[in-house]
Amino acid sequence: MIAAGAVSAGPHIFWITSRAAGIAALVLSSLAVCAGLLIGSRGGVLRGFGGDTKALHEALSLATLVAIAVHGLALLGDHFLHPSIFEISIPFTTAYRTFWTGIGIAAGWALAALGLSYYARSWVGQSRWRSLHRFTALFWLLGIVHSLGSGTDAGQPWFLLTLAITAAPALVLLAGRLARPPAQPSTSR
Amino acid sequence: MREMDNADRLEAKGLARAKIRAKRRRVQTIRRRTLRGSLALFAAVWAVVFAQLVSGNDPALSSIPHPSHRPVASTGGEPAREPAPEAEPEEEAEPTLEAEPLPEEEFAPEAEPEVVPEEEFAPEPEVEVEPEPEPIVTASS
Repeated sequence: MIAAGAVSAGPHIFWITSRAAGIAALVLSSLAVCAGLLIGSRGGVLRGFGGDTKALHEALSLATLVAIAVHGLALLGDHFLHPSIFEISIPFTTAYRTFWTGIGIAAGWALAALGLSYYARSWVGQSRWRSLHRFTALFWLLGIVHSLGSGTDAGQPWFLLTLAITAAPALVLLAGRLARPPAQPSTSR
Repeated sequence: MREMDNADRLEAKGLARAKIRAKRRRVQTIRRRTLRGSLALFAAVWAVVFAQLVSGNDPALSSIPHPSHRPVASTGGEPAREPAPEAEPEEEAEPTLEAEPLPEEEFAPEAEPEVVPEEEFAPEPEVEVEPEPEPIVTASS
């Protein structure tokens, strides 16, 4: 069976790369959300990782954005799907699973905008940036929806297990944050 | 007293610088580890997907078609994302057999089904096919 179903991977390299980058982005974004939520929680320190949660959050967020970029751009090289630059960058323009893919593209752009706005927070305004940055969790959730709706590996046990392991802690932390009454403005930047 | 103050200040400055340096080092370490971890994660997932595909257990290829492959595979000349070689002829044959037979049956039941160029002559064959055999018959006789 295996031998009969074997496929040469050569023509699918870009497709494999895109899938791998998408899954990596999902895992990294989940970890970044975890770290981000831990910053605001009491203590705000991951002792086992050098003690600087903010640096970890920043590094994971940047890695996520790179993975999202690779996820989209790798598809440009795929001879089978063969999307145009517009189809991978403008939501709801691709013919392939338009709705789910559109959600993913929109979430990707939003995550990039909200994440990179960190470096423009003096221009945006600290409090405004802070309130905008909370929407990151929403777009992270949309990314998960995108992966389940249009992901090729969405039904695979290993994928679901990976998603559960990485996203569940973030969801718990997010629920805890939402359930908590709004705290007084913290002094940390 | 003043000298003591200066010494304390210098010591405090030294401590502050050391703390800043330590923090920078920690941040650099975190960035490096995150970068390595991200690359390792990507490589691991890539390997899993690759192994899945090569072993023929890819979810998009083991069952019928990843929706993105079908149209392009039928139009393009490159090999389709099919798990088994047997699947290719079946899927490629479907569109040709399904799309062409209808017009062929309508226009020319006697004509050979596979020849595509005949479709071009399909509108006229009823008129022209009959006269053609006549000269051949007369010439041979």
